[in-house]
Amino acid sequence: MKMLDKPLVVSGQLAWLGGDKLERTVEHPTREVSTIGDGEVTQQREGRSPRSFSLKRAPQLQLLLDSFVALLGGDSSRLEQAFTVQHSADGADHWTLTLTPRDAKLAQTVSRIDIDGSGNEPHCMRMQEADGDIAIDLLGDYAARMPTAPTRDALITLCRGS
Amino acid sequence: MRRSRVTLLVLWLAALAALGLFVTRHLTVSTDLRSFMPAPTTPDQRLLMEQVGEGPGSRLLLLAISGKSDEQLAGLSQQLAVALRKDQRYTQVLNGSFDIGALDDALLPYRYLLSPTLDHQRMDAAYLRDELEQRLDDLSSPAASLLKGLLPRDPTLEVLKLAERWSPPKSPELVQGVWFSPQHEALLLVLTRSAGFDPDAQSQAIDGIHRAFDALPDHAGGSVAVSGPGYFSVVASEQTRGQAEWIGRISTVGFIVLLLLAYRSIGSLLLSALPIASAALAGIAALVLLFPQVHGITLAFGFTLLGVAQEYPIRVLSHRRAGENAVQSVRDLWPLLLTAIASACIAYAAFFASGVSGLQQLAVFTVTGLLVAGFSTRYLLPYLLPERVRDVADMGWLISARRFVDRLPRPRWIPLVVAAATVLMLVFAQGPFWQNDLSALTPLPRDLLLRDARLREALGAPDVRYLLVLQAPDEQGVLALSEKLEPTIDALVARHAVDAVELPSRYLPSSTVQRARQQALPDREALTSALAEAEQGMPFQSGLFDPFVNDVEKARSLPLLTPEQFASSPLGQRVSAMLMQRDGHWLGLGTLSGVHDVAALQALARDSGGDVRLLDLKGAAESLVVDYRARILHALLGATVLLVIAIVVALRSVRRAWHVLAPMTLATFLVLAVERVAGVEISLFHLVALILAAGLGLHYALFFERDTGDAAEQRRTLHATLVCVLSALLVFGMLAWSTIPVLRAIGLTVALGVAFHFCLSILMAPHARQD
Repeated sequence: MKMLDKPLVVSGQLAWLGGDKLERTVEHPTREVSTIGDGEVTQQREGRSPRSFSLKRAPQLQLLLDSFVALLGGDSSRLEQAFTVQHSADGADHWTLTLTPRDAKLAQTVSRIDIDGSGNEPHCMRMQEADGDIAIDLLGDYAARMPTAPTRDALITLCRGS
Repeated sequence: MRRSRVTLLVLWLAALAALGLFVTRHLTVSTDLRSFMPAPTTPDQRLLMEQVGEGPGSRLLLLAISGKSDEQLAGLSQQLAVALRKDQRYTQVLNGSFDIGALDDALLPYRYLLSPTLDHQRMDAAYLRDELEQRLDDLSSPAASLLKGLLPRDPTLEVLKLAERWSPPKSPELVQGVWFSPQHEALLLVLTRSAGFDPDAQSQAIDGIHRAFDALPDHAGGSVAVSGPGYFSVVASEQTRGQAEWIGRISTVGFIVLLLLAYRSIGSLLLSALPIASAALAGIAALVLLFPQVHGITLAFGFTLLGVAQEYPIRVLSHRRAGENAVQSVRDLWPLLLTAIASACIAYAAFFASGVSGLQQLAVFTVTGLLVAGFSTRYLLPYLLPERVRDVADMGWLISARRFVDRLPRPRWIPLVVAAATVLMLVFAQGPFWQNDLSALTPLPRDLLLRDARLREALGAPDVRYLLVLQAPDEQGVLALSEKLEPTIDALVARHAVDAVELPSRYLPSSTVQRARQQALPDREALTSALAEAEQGMPFQSGLFDPFVNDVEKARSLPLLTPEQFASSPLGQRVSAMLMQRDGHWLGLGTLSGVHDVAALQALARDSGGDVRLLDLKGAAESLVVDYRARILHALLGATVLLVIAIVVALRSVRRAWHVLAPMTLATFLVLAVERVAGVEISLFHLVALILAAGLGLHYALFFERDTGDAAEQRRTLHATLVCVLSALLVFGMLAWSTIPVLRAIGLTVALGVAFHFCLSILMAPHARQD
């Protein structure tokens, strides 16, 4: 993130509640539960009153939701609807799915999402924001591989599986 | 002779044309319903009158967009809000989306003086550290994209705290970022610049909303519904106008047919319209000369009341004898006609004494009109009427009708029985006698009212009934009082005595508080070092918060924000509407939503020692109506005394005057009694209508009482009276079918009155003799 000198690292769980709903639970550094769905995001942080806002205000989340729900639900037509999808595989069963938002307005905030994986397992989700910031989600087993002092390049290398 | 007649006609028509031209050039019609309310006497009533017209409550329009998917509706809501915010006719447009624009760039540094943060918090390293840690969490949370832009300038998110503080106290559910009702309509609140009870201006404002909506690219399939006091005043005035117009058209045709049947002469009919036309034009001209603006209702009621004047030409036409010159007929009739004119003028002049500007206009209009109609009937009309006419006295049906009337039994006990029955009916009628609730006369369909209640509930829009009134010597005093009240109010809200209270200090703190906050702001040096300390070990880039440091520095030297300065922004307008100067002191208004415990609020007002009052607008309105009625009744009492004197003098006999006044009085009370038994609550409009009916009844009684000893003349009297009664029954009977309470009240009362007055004047006429 441009504003920050070093990457922000949080860990927790992302759960698909079915339908259009995701639940994001952060365990570290502070406990926080967010639900994303029904056009709204609700954030609940320990010791504070819940805060909610419209998904419209957070286009990244709309994309996150679209891509996750489509991927997890195996709904390729939905994925195609929101993104142009590029699939590339390199050698030892590692693949990258590159999603570019079709909506020009959304593309102004999120330029693309790269999902890395091997076999049936996605490992990483990299959201490239238009202002240069990048959000990288390490999924499943890969979450344990988060370095103690991560850098952007190290993470990208990790995701690429090499 | 013939030549001079044509000259006179041309001159008369030319005079009417000139009057017409003058009137159309200078007439400005106002539609503000308040000029039909009495001048307020108590402070509460004065506040009511202002609030009714200009208070935020009355200028609030509630909008609901429906008919499409939630997502599309949310889009439409956003686009409509953007369109309306650009329009000068609306001072505030809210749709639930958080709007940083509420505080424009120039006012943005004021956030530190407006937000309560600094009241209990020092802007030191510990505080900044805590805030920055939260921001870091925010950046890794789903809200990151929302806050990223604000961060460098406002790391403590003061703007969000203010937005939260300023959003309506009880917000509806947010779907897709905008307000939604449980019925899946996107909701908006619009505050119009124009007064709520100015139907024309409101109609333009509502029209603007529909236009803006129809201009949206994706509006097809969706629809926007409007509600609120302004919308109601538009609906009410349109409905009233619409019904009055079609009823008016039908009764005009019926009236013409009736006169043609009665006199079988198109010439006479056209000529007899001249006095009425002169009366109407002269009446309007008098209004234009005496008042800057003429009220639309004055004109509508005025034309109705002028219906009495149609009697004058009718009397002249009916009383013409075969072979007798019209001038001679009028001369014979004139003393009686003059009495009739004078008495009607006295009755209508009572409106002038009411002290209500709309009714005073009504009095000027009708009295001028009656005089012009009467004198033109006496001094102009006869010279135009054809020399020879058919004497109505020779009509076969009229002779038998007169015989029938004469043969009616007239026992002396009839008035006593009628009087006793009237008293009994009045005593045993159920329900309240007076209708004090003005809104009961508003002809609004029930579903509109239900929709309004539903939207109001969903939007948490302020209650239109109660207001909290804060009083202090100056503006700042009101704001300070409002601040002092906040903890008490919060306690009341916590106890559910009231859902929410919106006080002026919620938007603008007093200068004392602003100064305290300003002084609590650290100087640049202190802030920079506190920030440096707070940032220690945090990943924020150095210099990231420079805009924040600059804003705080700017806030330290800002002149304190006054209501006048604030008024340049939409929110400031809201504050201005809540503050007003009155008789050397200032008042602040607090709006209440969802009042559950009036007693608790009254207790709050009692404990304040007079600085805070709970204003019950409904109560104030009812007291206003009661005052209003008392004034009209007093004026009527005065008019009655004058009337008795006038009749006694004109007839030169107390006994004859009794014969005229007794049937009139009895019939008036009989109408009242019958309406009461039928469950009608008596409103101001019923009173006005009773006066009109009494005026007509007085004429019938006067003419029936006239002892000419001539059977043919008696037949002519009957003919004239029958024509008058039938035409009045036709016009007002039609009005009685209207679905609009005001029109129905007038129509029913006058129609009943005319019938009772006619029957009683015949039955109580003193000298029915067989011939």
